[in-house]
Amino acid sequence: MPMTGREYAWKRRPGWWLRNRRYLMFQLREAGGVVCALYGLVLLNMLVQLRAGESAYTAFLDLLRTPPVLYLNVVLFALVVWHALTWFMLIGKAQPIQFTRQPLPWKVVFGINVLLWLGVSGAVVYLIFGGI
Amino acid sequence: MLLEPIFWSLFSLGGFITAFLFPVTLFLLFFAAPFHLWPTDPAAYSTFGGHWKEPLVRLFFFVLIGGSLFHGTHRLKFMLMDAGFKGRSAEAFLDVILNGVAIFGSLGALFYAVRGWLF
Amino acid sequence: MAASDVVFRVKRYRPESGGRPTFQEYTIPYRNDMVVLDGLNYIKDHIDPTLTFRWSCRMGICGSCGADVNGQPRLTCGTYIRDVHKGAVTVEPLSNFPILKDLVVDFDDFLRKLASVTPYIVRKDWGDLTKEYVQYPEDVEAYRQQSLCINCMLCYAACPVFGSSPEFVGPAASALALRYNRDTRDEGADARLARLNTRTGVWECTFVGECSVVCPKDVDPAAAIQTLKFLATMRHMRRLLMPGSSSR
Repeated sequence: MPMTGREYAWKRRPGWWLRNRRYLMFQLREAGGVVCALYGLVLLNMLVQLRAGESAYTAFLDLLRTPPVLYLNVVLFALVVWHALTWFMLIGKAQPIQFTRQPLPWKVVFGINVLLWLGVSGAVVYLIFGGI
Repeated sequence: MLLEPIFWSLFSLGGFITAFLFPVTLFLLFFAAPFHLWPTDPAAYSTFGGHWKEPLVRLFFFVLIGGSLFHGTHRLKFMLMDAGFKGRSAEAFLDVILNGVAIFGSLGALFYAVRGWLF
Repeated sequence: MAASDVVFRVKRYRPESGGRPTFQEYTIPYRNDMVVLDGLNYIKDHIDPTLTFRWSCRMGICGSCGADVNGQPRLTCGTYIRDVHKGAVTVEPLSNFPILKDLVVDFDDFLRKLASVTPYIVRKDWGDLTKEYVQYPEDVEAYRQQSLCINCMLCYAACPVFGSSPEFVGPAASALALRYNRDTRDEGADARLARLNTRTGVWECTFVGECSVVCPKDVDPAAAIQTLKFLATMRHMRRLLMPGSSSR
């Protein structure tokens, strides 16, 4: 379509995710997902050191527990927990596989997932870590 | 052939695995003892080594490591592409590197899971 | 400025002169029941006839009047000034689109994407067109939510992925693809899923979810896209594992 003059092209701003709270929560959620992969590698290394013997294993564990690394771990763990919580919300908001005729309100699905998570966590405590 | 549906499926599976299993596992291994929130140290060599003999525990950690790697590398790919790492060749590069890490990490976890049990 | 005045900060852009868009401020009389569109029309009618913006039905059904109001994609006809009146009311063209003039954006690209998902009923054989196609209430309910889309493009303005990857097919086009896939009269689901199972299709989406937050009609395009990811994956696996299997 002929037009005098030119269009002003759009460019997304670098700090776009600081524009509102939901964008920020999204970026933290994504970061939490990446942190999960990081912990996956940490757990893999734990298995490697376990095979290497007690001194190697204990040295690695002690490294993770030295104060600066430990506090970094607390921050990363918070991101992992945020990732889990947002995952339960996303299941509620997407419901790609529906068990009911109409989609349930997302908060209901979130609640169900949190209860399931508590149950699964309890099972992990007893089946994997031998109980309290 | 578009591999994205397959990686997305692994990403989704990994999402469930990490969401349900990571919080309690990481808490018990890395935070329970240092912050005195548990009567024993579940990560101590003798304790953890003892549980490591059980096939269920080995399978658990294989699933956990595989799932978290496929989930996290997929998210990292999209974060990097969003930050500017764009284009077909950039995406292909990320696909190879990140899925490579996930695949090799999972194979590594499988190896250590069956080592000392099946061979 | 009277106590019952309100200041509008409106983004202006002249295509003849080019340069960068700039803000212009207007002070207008304010009544409690005014919407942002009323303010824009007051400006055009009484202060500055050069101000250019799209609008039509003024009741939230035509989808013409989308703009960024205080940084949020809104329909100006459906946004009460009293709800956004924090000091000045800032009105800018919808994010993520090229600007033609003032608040008017170029959405040719959106129309192309919409056309690319064949947003109409597709059938191999129409049969006897004098007879009706029976559809039960539950059949209609299956696609009703996505059918409410008014093509206002607020979801595209909200989507950060579309903002940096303009080739992304986007929320509204995807939701409308699902609407037709779920219509029992339609036989074009396979072709639409083929279109969406691509790099520029649903796989660009990272489920930020902002599209569903801003949608004035509760279409929930975010959920539609996740459903389409699942459907596209099922189709992909079926074609991989059982080549030559029938569509749908």
